[in-house]
Amino acid sequence: MKLNITLPKFLRIGTLPIVLIVLMGIAFVVAMIRYIFGIGAISDLSYSYPWGFWISFDLFTGVVISSGGFIMAGTVYILRIKEFQPLLRPSVLTAFLGYIMVAVALLVDLGHPERIWYMMIHWNHTSVLLEIGICVMSYLTVLAIEFAPVVLERFPVLHKIAHLIHKFIMPFVILGVVLSTLHQSSLGSLLLIQPAKLHPLWWTPILPILFFTSALAVGLGMIIFESSLSSRYFKRGLETHLLAKLAKAIPVILVIYALIKFGELAVAGELDLLFTSGSMSILFWVEILIGVVAPSIWFAFKQNRTNPNRLLTGAIVLLLGMILNRFNVSWFAVKHPDPLYYLPTFMSNVKYFPTLPEVSVSIGIFSAGILAFGLLAKYFPVFEDENRAAAHVGD
Amino acid sequence: MTDIKHHAYLFDATRCIDCRACMVACSVENNIPMDKTRIWVAGLGIQGEFPDLHRSSMVYHCMHCDHPDCMSACPVGAYTKAPDGPVSYNPDVCIGCRYCMNACPFGVPHFDYDKGIIEGAFIDKCTFCPQRIYNGQEPACVQTCPTDALEYGNRDELLKKAHERIAAHPDRYIDHVYGEFENGGTSYLILSHVPFSELGLPNLPETPVNEVSEKVMEMTIPFALGWGAVLTAVSAGVAMYDKKKNGKTAEEQAEESK
Ligand code: SF4
Ligand code: SF4
Repeated sequence: MKLNITLPKFLRIGTLPIVLIVLMGIAFVVAMIRYIFGIGAISDLSYSYPWGFWISFDLFTGVVISSGGFIMAGTVYILRIKEFQPLLRPSVLTAFLGYIMVAVALLVDLGHPERIWYMMIHWNHTSVLLEIGICVMSYLTVLAIEFAPVVLERFPVLHKIAHLIHKFIMPFVILGVVLSTLHQSSLGSLLLIQPAKLHPLWWTPILPILFFTSALAVGLGMIIFESSLSSRYFKRGLETHLLAKLAKAIPVILVIYALIKFGELAVAGELDLLFTSGSMSILFWVEILIGVVAPSIWFAFKQNRTNPNRLLTGAIVLLLGMILNRFNVSWFAVKHPDPLYYLPTFMSNVKYFPTLPEVSVSIGIFSAGILAFGLLAKYFPVFEDENRAAAHVGD
Repeated sequence: MTDIKHHAYLFDATRCIDCRACMVACSVENNIPMDKTRIWVAGLGIQGEFPDLHRSSMVYHCMHCDHPDCMSACPVGAYTKAPDGPVSYNPDVCIGCRYCMNACPFGVPHFDYDKGIIEGAFIDKCTFCPQRIYNGQEPACVQTCPTDALEYGNRDELLKKAHERIAAHPDRYIDHVYGEFENGGTSYLILSHVPFSELGLPNLPETPVNEVSEKVMEMTIPFALGWGAVLTAVSAGVAMYDKKKNGKTAEEQAEESK
């Protein structure tokens, strides 16, 4: 049905933005309730489960799906494979927004959000979380610098600054790649302190290496995913030939990842756990099948890499599998001491299941990210036409 | 002041009668609200098979580890380990990330889920009653315990006492003092007549659980510098190779790459 009202042009917005704004509003209200009445008022987190959906989704998933930014920056600026230039800006933007989302989500999850900056002045050098905090804060700055020219170019007066940034971009790119390597892998190190809690199928001293390797695959998958969706939404052309090249690298990375993972299990003599751990074995195999086996086979075939729909399908499967991996490591496979034994009944809360308000906060933040991406892509030259694009690289 | 070099507790599960006086004493001494506690006493009910029945209960609080994992994990360094034993928490720097709760293998630190940002939500755990032990008194829980299931003293002496007790009644105890080596040694030592896992205690190796992560953290800075150097070298190399190869300006190359 069509309403017969003519709105002024700036008020004409589609359904998607409206839905996103409503979701953001819900998240805002829920977050206010949390700030007034405490985290327990909106979530199922407990003494036994201090970390839950927010950490698994907003932190672990949010960071890994933002890895496209440093991969593209490294490819275009450091390796100077300039044909990928058209993918650079969207990837950097996705990463920038991704990390802002991580930071905003942490402001809800932290008990003292107003003290988040304490991480800059109180340093406990044995803490992995400190490393992640510092890397994420610094990398956000780097991403802001990498993305700034896109905004500045729109304004003729500021063109000079944009040019200046282009000129001195290299140190920032290198810093960005180093910071990303560090914190993508450190997210794995975060679990190293739980050898007694994390299931041995996942706990290994080389978790940081596994995390970094899988982040590379996820980053490529995310670039395919985000380019495909935005090309559909904005009805612009898709750089299928470029995406096909990225897709070609995915099976290689995944095979290396699988070799490291199973090799480690074999060396540790834990291969029998693959079949003897009940539901944990099942989780493990589901993760491996959809995150590693299926996408490697899928992208090994040329016809799957050159067809936009098939590219998108493969990327979605890869992302789902790897996100399941992050959930497993940070939540499903973590067994906290059983409080039945030592907590009086009024405290025992062995089970954890995320509540609706908890999830709605994450959804709201995610919606804000999508909306911001849409707006920036609409009003700024994020998707450059290819001849302008390449002109920026160089010395 | 006291002459104790390493403050410690000894808990004997065979003596505990599940009266929970220690919980009350702790809450009164430290002014803990009714719905919170720093000690958990778990009555595990009747265990075993007829006619071999026994009851057990377990008193549980911070183990005051020699290599505290809470302290290793906390990003802002809210925990400190006193050289003579107690592990304490400083609410003034805590950001409420709850990583310490994840890190502690015993699940000891707990958090105010019912407080908003105005009241302030903090971590809480046993402090070892510094206000008492540094004035020559026993911790409140120990002083209250009617059966001497909880004892307090120098770690060495308590360990000796524990081993003597096992030697005197080998039929009554499991031949192991929990906490002597677990997690690198703790200041809360436990004697039991049932397997420690039945008391809800995790099965931990002698190396502290924070060992691997601390090693990885030590490698971080050297790795970052090395990786940065490699990347700088690579990008310089590629740039030179590019220039040499076609001797063209960047603009032209860009045009080409389409
Ligand atoms: S028992 Fe837990 S809270 Fe207590 S010192 Fe050890 S790691 Fe820290
Ligand atoms: S919750 Fe507080 S004490 Fe615990 S690790 Fe985080 S900052 Fe440190």
